[in-house]
Amino acid sequence: MKRQHRLSSQLPQSIYTPESQLRHPLRLLQTMWRDLLASRELAWRLMVRDISAQYRQSFLGIAWAFLPPIVLAASFTLANNARVINVGATDLPYPAYVMFSTALWQTFVEALNAPVQAVTVAKPMLARVNFPQEALILAKIGEVFFNFAIKLILIVGLFIWFQIPVSWTVILTPVPLIHLVLLGTFLGILLAPLGVLYQDVSKGLTLITGFWLFLTPVIYPIPTEGTFGLLVRFNPVTPLLVTVRELATTGVVSEPFGFWLVSIITFIGLLLTWIMFRLAMPFVVERVSS
Amino acid sequence: MTDLIEQTIPVQHQDADVLISVDHVSKKFCRNLKRSLLYGVQDIATELLGGDRKSDTLRSQEFWAIKDVSFQLKRGEALGLVGSNGAGKSTLLRIISGLIKPDTGCVKVRGRVAPLIALGAGFNPILTGRENIYANMAILGLSTKQITERFEEVIDFSEIGSAIDAPVQTYSSGMAARLGFACAVHVEPDILLIDEVLAVGDIKFKMKCHRQLAKLRENGTAFILVSHNSHSILNVCDSSIYLSKGQLITSGETETVIRKYEEDLCLSGSESALGKLILPEKPAHESVGLDITAVFFRDEQGNLLEAPLSGEPAYLCVECKAHQKIDQANLGLLVTALSGENGLVQYITSNCDREDLTILPGHSEVQMYMPYCSFIPGVYSAKIYIRKGVKSFDIVESFRFTVKTNKTISRCLFYQPRTWQVIHQ
Repeated sequence: MKRQHRLSSQLPQSIYTPESQLRHPLRLLQTMWRDLLASRELAWRLMVRDISAQYRQSFLGIAWAFLPPIVLAASFTLANNARVINVGATDLPYPAYVMFSTALWQTFVEALNAPVQAVTVAKPMLARVNFPQEALILAKIGEVFFNFAIKLILIVGLFIWFQIPVSWTVILTPVPLIHLVLLGTFLGILLAPLGVLYQDVSKGLTLITGFWLFLTPVIYPIPTEGTFGLLVRFNPVTPLLVTVRELATTGVVSEPFGFWLVSIITFIGLLLTWIMFRLAMPFVVERVSS
Repeated sequence: MTDLIEQTIPVQHQDADVLISVDHVSKKFCRNLKRSLLYGVQDIATELLGGDRKSDTLRSQEFWAIKDVSFQLKRGEALGLVGSNGAGKSTLLRIISGLIKPDTGCVKVRGRVAPLIALGAGFNPILTGRENIYANMAILGLSTKQITERFEEVIDFSEIGSAIDAPVQTYSSGMAARLGFACAVHVEPDILLIDEVLAVGDIKFKMKCHRQLAKLRENGTAFILVSHNSHSILNVCDSSIYLSKGQLITSGETETVIRKYEEDLCLSGSESALGKLILPEKPAHESVGLDITAVFFRDEQGNLLEAPLSGEPAYLCVECKAHQKIDQANLGLLVTALSGENGLVQYITSNCDREDLTILPGHSEVQMYMPYCSFIPGVYSAKIYIRKGVKSFDIVESFRFTVKTNKTISRCLFYQPRTWQVIHQ
């Protein structure tokens, strides 16, 4: 054995007691930071594992990243042309508008589902090994970005096909995009512990995202009036998604205030839900069979 | 250099060597799923508010899976954990590995813990063995660099050979288990928790595992070993703990603990029976010439023996009262085990042994000498009859007796009397 003998007193010590970890906030934050650092490499491993397994067991492979936006765009373009639905004028050609927006929306939904899925799939692992559980979520978020990177091929193709002019601000798009993913992650982590205990969570999530899609300017431009307009405006996804779209095309951000408000809420919420996640997980693991 | 370091170690060197310290730990569970989930949500809410869960009291439908268990484990020590199913062994391991919180008490753990409960945790059947080694060892806490360093050793040890680049779903269960074991031991943990996993693989691989564990132990890894096989615990562990229904029954030297465990194991499920069976005297008109009045055991000195010991000599004594002289009497003995699944374990008749018993009128005692009591510890029921030809004089339907032991007899169906020697040639 190559490893040198370490003295026991130098080994990291963990203490498990019944009292709430919130009683020692400093220690909690320290372990959170330590675990986050420790989970980077593991997260990378898990991501590589999941992505390669996913594509190895699929015939169509990466086509699955393209198909949903294309199908959705095709059906809404047909409906719009046949005047079944009546959307107003969009600043992009309609099929491109729908496809681009859908790709963004999908990324958000993936991020929203990621924590619940990651934790549910890893149940057997959670029940047996003590590892930094942040890694599961980080790996899944990495997968979301990977999937978006593939969708990017579609989007670039789209811009070339429709000859959409691109503003220099396109280099800023990663910022709102990351915020969009983080918003989804924040809400997802909030639900993850409960999602392992109760199946209602993942079922409810599917139901809600279906409805949520129609409150987001994905297939129509932002409405300006009426109750519907108000609902869409109060939808936290709207400013983030619209900002990505605007930075990529016109270069004029119409709602900087909304964007920063949602972003700040996202960052604070993310930290809080992370703490919550850590506190809740031992009780969840207890109820997962080993 | 080493000397220098050693001098700087504080005086309580003994204390610093403790890797696991479990102090009055209890854990409660709820068997009702719906309620358990509800309690879970309740507990999470209290935890988030920083409140007191009142974890030391039971709520409705809860029970103690572990109650007030304390022990310590030092560097390089091996601790055996025995107990019947549901005694709380795995729960204890899960608390030590930090997966679940204790409800009372405190657990302190130093160093990296590798749980062998988790053989092949994170194995994805689609991926190749090679990819899975990386994922598995990363979960157990190694960096990519460390994994690459040990990669060849792992493959060598697991004897997977060229199958390493085939998907794990094509592996036999033994191959997958070998790969999992190889990953876990090459993490070189400070503490290894082994839960009933050494039973996998063929005998050759098992021996290799034991060798590897011994090597790890020499390097200072501490073990906790859970097993139902007392021999593997006896071979590996110096001290043991016996849990039953979450309570720590006894702890200390492995041999003593195992003996207590096996005694309880054999006796559980049936009341113990001790001593002498005395039968009421029959009225004269019911008697057919001979009545059994008592059944019991004696030791070699002729004292009444409450419970014979496995491997020790004993006399089975049948006291009877005869009204006439009976020659060629035949005493039959059918022994049934009340614990275990064996049923009838012994059938002896004096007739088969070509012993003609002659019983004179009045009181007499028929003795059967057993140079070695070959029954394993447990509770038995004996049916005893005295006949002559086809004529039956008296039958005792059930004489209950207990066999105890002062040795370790596990996984044996009977006690084999033996002596040992080495003949040099």
